[in-house]
Amino acid sequence: MEERYAIEMRGICKSFGSVAANKDVNLNVKPGEILALLGENGSGKTTLMNMLSGIYKPDSGSIFVDGQEVSINSPEDAKRLGIGMVHQHFKLVDVFSAADNIWLGDDKSGAVLKKDRYDVIRDMAKKFGFDIDPRKKVYNMAVSEKQTLEIVKVLYYGAKIIILDEPTAVLTVQETVKLFDVLRRMKAEGHAIIIITHKLNEVLEISDRVAILRKGEYITTVDTPSTNEQQLTEYMVGRKVELNIQRPVVEKTRPLLEIRDLTIKNDEGALAIDHVSFYIRGGEILGVAGIAGCGQKELCEAIAGLRPIEGGQMIHKGDNIVGLPPKAILEKGISMSFIPEDRLGMGLAPSMSITDNMLLKKYDQSKGPFVDRKTGRAEAKQVIADLEIVTPSTETPVRRLSGGNVQKVLLGREIKAGPNVIVTAYPVRGLDINSSYAIYDILNRQKQDGVGILFVGEDLDVMMGLCDKIMVLCHGKVMGVVHAHKTSKEELGLMMTGALDLSHKYEDKPAGIAKDSRIGENEEVEE
Amino acid sequence: MNDPINVLTLFLFNIVLINIPLLYGTVGEIVVEKAGSLDLGVEGTMAVGAIFGYLAGCAANSMVVGLLVSFLAAGLCGALFAVLTVSFQANQNVTGLTITTFGLGLYFFVGKGMGERWPAMTVASALVDGFTARELPLLSKIPVLGKVFFSQNLLVYLGVAVAVLVWWYLNFTKTGLRLRAVGENPGAADSVGVNILLYKYVHLIAGSGIMGLGGFYMALNMSGSFEGSNCWINGYGWIAIALVIFANWNPVMAILGTLVFGFFNTLQIYSGALAGAFPGGLGWLNAVPAQLFKALPFIITAIVLIASSVRKKEGSGQPAALGLNYFREER
Amino acid sequence: MKNRQPLFHVVKRESGSPGRQILAYVAAVALALVVGAVLLAVQGVEPLTFYKQMLTMGIPGSRYPWRAVENFIKLFVPLLIVSLALALAFKMRFWNIGGEGQFIMGAFWAGVAAMNLGESLPRPAMVLVMAVAGALGGGVYGLFVAALKVRFGTNETLLTLMLNYIALYFLQFFAETKADWNFFLDPESARPKFAKFPASAQMITIPIGPFNLNLSLVIALALCALIFAYLNYTKRGYEIAVVGDSPNTARYAGMKVGKIVLRTIFISAALIGMAGAFHVSSAGVMSASPTNDVGWTGIVVAWLAKLNTVGILVAAVLITVLQFGCQTASATYPAIDANFANLLQGVILFIVLAADFFTRFKLVRRGGKEAVK
Repeated sequence: MEERYAIEMRGICKSFGSVAANKDVNLNVKPGEILALLGENGSGKTTLMNMLSGIYKPDSGSIFVDGQEVSINSPEDAKRLGIGMVHQHFKLVDVFSAADNIWLGDDKSGAVLKKDRYDVIRDMAKKFGFDIDPRKKVYNMAVSEKQTLEIVKVLYYGAKIIILDEPTAVLTVQETVKLFDVLRRMKAEGHAIIIITHKLNEVLEISDRVAILRKGEYITTVDTPSTNEQQLTEYMVGRKVELNIQRPVVEKTRPLLEIRDLTIKNDEGALAIDHVSFYIRGGEILGVAGIAGCGQKELCEAIAGLRPIEGGQMIHKGDNIVGLPPKAILEKGISMSFIPEDRLGMGLAPSMSITDNMLLKKYDQSKGPFVDRKTGRAEAKQVIADLEIVTPSTETPVRRLSGGNVQKVLLGREIKAGPNVIVTAYPVRGLDINSSYAIYDILNRQKQDGVGILFVGEDLDVMMGLCDKIMVLCHGKVMGVVHAHKTSKEELGLMMTGALDLSHKYEDKPAGIAKDSRIGENEEVEE
Repeated sequence: MNDPINVLTLFLFNIVLINIPLLYGTVGEIVVEKAGSLDLGVEGTMAVGAIFGYLAGCAANSMVVGLLVSFLAAGLCGALFAVLTVSFQANQNVTGLTITTFGLGLYFFVGKGMGERWPAMTVASALVDGFTARELPLLSKIPVLGKVFFSQNLLVYLGVAVAVLVWWYLNFTKTGLRLRAVGENPGAADSVGVNILLYKYVHLIAGSGIMGLGGFYMALNMSGSFEGSNCWINGYGWIAIALVIFANWNPVMAILGTLVFGFFNTLQIYSGALAGAFPGGLGWLNAVPAQLFKALPFIITAIVLIASSVRKKEGSGQPAALGLNYFREER
Repeated sequence: MKNRQPLFHVVKRESGSPGRQILAYVAAVALALVVGAVLLAVQGVEPLTFYKQMLTMGIPGSRYPWRAVENFIKLFVPLLIVSLALALAFKMRFWNIGGEGQFIMGAFWAGVAAMNLGESLPRPAMVLVMAVAGALGGGVYGLFVAALKVRFGTNETLLTLMLNYIALYFLQFFAETKADWNFFLDPESARPKFAKFPASAQMITIPIGPFNLNLSLVIALALCALIFAYLNYTKRGYEIAVVGDSPNTARYAGMKVGKIVLRTIFISAALIGMAGAFHVSSAGVMSASPTNDVGWTGIVVAWLAKLNTVGILVAAVLITVLQFGCQTASATYPAIDANFANLLQGVILFIVLAADFFTRFKLVRRGGKEAVK
């Protein structure tokens, strides 16, 4: 007889516009089992889980709960089916107390709110080994408290299938231990648990099986006892693919951009970048590898002057750029382009034409009161021709273009501006092979012209082929900087997941500090 | 007649009598805003409730029918607002303003269209009777206060009861809790299975219905006399929007706010009488322009708005998602 | 119950087509007229005759057809300018619903100039001074809100709403207070009554045969062209577009978003104030409620036109025809007055708002087949 699954997903597909987030994914969990869902940045794990929690609806495929095919049209349906999800971005009402946030979704008690709900929640939390103050307002809570509350909430609703999206990312070691105890107890009670995490040691410690997604596709599911970190990493990042990317050798200059002890907070107030040091020389491409949300976005924003920093130094050609407005940083020749997951957002005005977007950073440079669209149109034409952008005309609003073409517009503009430092995040996200190579060529040409490039990427094969050096981030900390031609995919994978720390490899030379640093040359430079 | 205490009592009595519609409008708008929707159509909604409630009440010669129809007619305006902003994701400001334009247009269209057939309130004895002051036993015997607070018509008591009831509903029931969550963070409410669509529709309709009751009150207070140039509501809908802010989205505070705003509102009528009755203490009232009293509710609210944005205090009752439409698959 | 499925699933549309939108608008107007016809019939008014009279605005067969056109223009100019100005603000997603207040302030300061300088300045200079005074009066009133919004994030929708009424009662104070210092009032009249402006403060008209072309129409049309150019060709217009489209991108591009908001709102409110100045100058006298709801109607017009300058011109004509037409037709039909125009206006906008949904979103049947294209 076939095994009965608490939940089973078959052939799930979901796309957003032209971006396919999940392609034919299969997944199942048994009651009394912990399944780890593993995958790199953008591999579609959260999207997949959101289809279980009723936030998204699959385009095709079917979902079975206890062997019955179900249709989950809303979070209400999910709750009724006994599916509870702890989201990575907390779904809490800030002005409510902890108890009220839980009471919100409670169906059992009466219509009138009674004072004893505080005791009920406290007792219930205690039963699961959590210590929460039920009267505390969410806006007064620390990040870890909010996380705890989210977990307590799901437990309170009595979910049989519990999904946790990176629950340990904001917990302390002790709290993680506690959480795992709870999960084991839940498992013993027959709950099915899906946990999304990037920390391989945690996967091995807590899970029974591991399902791996890569670029939206389902790879495989393995039994945890029969696997190890190397194998999981390989599944996650894939086998090394020989890409024929050129890596011209260019004479390097002194560091153009030096970052020292940089610390940045994210929007939630947690540390996104934690005492990071690195430098970029002219004529080199420094790759930045790391799993989703390891501070890449915050780092890019800070360099571009869009996000205040908590501490540290950012020195460009010997000049301090901390605290400069974005415009001044632009004028120094630092270009930043960030392709977010929806590909629009930062860097482009989606409702405006390609021509207008070409002018975004230089509209003010022309003489007279008018915008010089002639130049913009000429540049748009050139970029369209150079990068083979598919568009009806130069006047088409950017949001009408397909994703890959949107990126080409953005990168094309940045390079046209003739910067000396290029910070680019995910420039080939979602692009086909030819367009990707076109972009590698562009970056290499820039490198040969003596530009320093920071390349935040997600495909390790590409980074190993294109970059000179690769810096690996894990939860905002540098795990080390390695030479791209000397490293291996496995090594990078282990560093990304925090299993390997090479930041103190060389005792004599701390990682990320140039020998010929310009910092300290001129004391006035320092703040 | 000119006994100072009598003048004062009458003044205070009228503060309550004239301004209770504000309370209805405000409480209705609080319900709507707590669901996260900023409905600028209060004025139009009240006008629609007023005219249909009045006409139905006269036709049936029944207070209950009048109240019911005004609630339903105004509730339809709320339903229209809900269809456009919740289901069709239209801009809330524009939709609300259009409700006002449309509602006032409809009010005058219907009123003018009635022409000679317009019913006088005297015909409907039930309405006259329903709007007559009732003295509450014992309480009404308290000097001054007894007259001011406990010798009013039934709709005054109903208005206060509705305010207290809504306050209790918002703060002490689970549906109220969920409603507030919808207005604060619809994503969070949605994730725990609160049906956002249902909550928005029900409360937009109910809140608008409460506004309609205020309109009905105004109709009766105007003795049902229709003027082609001036709407009964006469800007009360806009003051109600201001009062929501002044009351910090709290229906019980709205009772107090109604008295404060009503104080200025009524003072412009009574400033002469009060100055006459208390020439020593209040003679200066004659020197204050009536327009200042009319403007004061808006001035106070503007100051409250600015002050609260400057201080950014956590205790503000303004729903965090006020004015934003919710689309679950937004990313 | 577990297999319950909603019929449709709403998804965002990738792109809209202008053809579909125009079609939706024509349908909206037609449908509104049908709704209006039903209402008219209920009232015992023959809809077709009424509509005929409304749409021709009583001009044919009138003894003074040019007078009707002149009055039409007096109604049309303020609406056009205010709608254009509001569109500037809305483009940046600044919800200026304070058009009424800014208009009143413009009218007020223009009136102050007229009553105090009217005797001493020649007409062209006086009209110019009034326009500038009105623009400054309205502009500063709007700038106040913009500054608070930029600095403290004050809710501009609610604040501009409050300021409308503060302005209204401020003006009423001058309209109703009989005093020696009150230069606005007619000293001859025992009751408080606004005095006529001196002759030089009356709007310049250009006689073309029997028709007197109101200069403010020329200015309004010129403004139309100017704003079109400003929005579409100048750097400032470019900034407005970027800030409105994505404030984050604007910051990324090094724009000073706060400064852009302040400047644009000042211009927007100043234009509205100037419209107020033109209005009182054309009327030749102050009024206690000068706006004719133009601050509200302007929002409707701007929204109907999707903030597009040419569209605003069309929508403003349409709405003025509705209003002026109803006004003239009501001479024949005592039961119907200008409020019928408001009613129709409301219905048109309701339908357009609903239709917009289908241009922004599409309904998809589960399984990927599109139900409504």
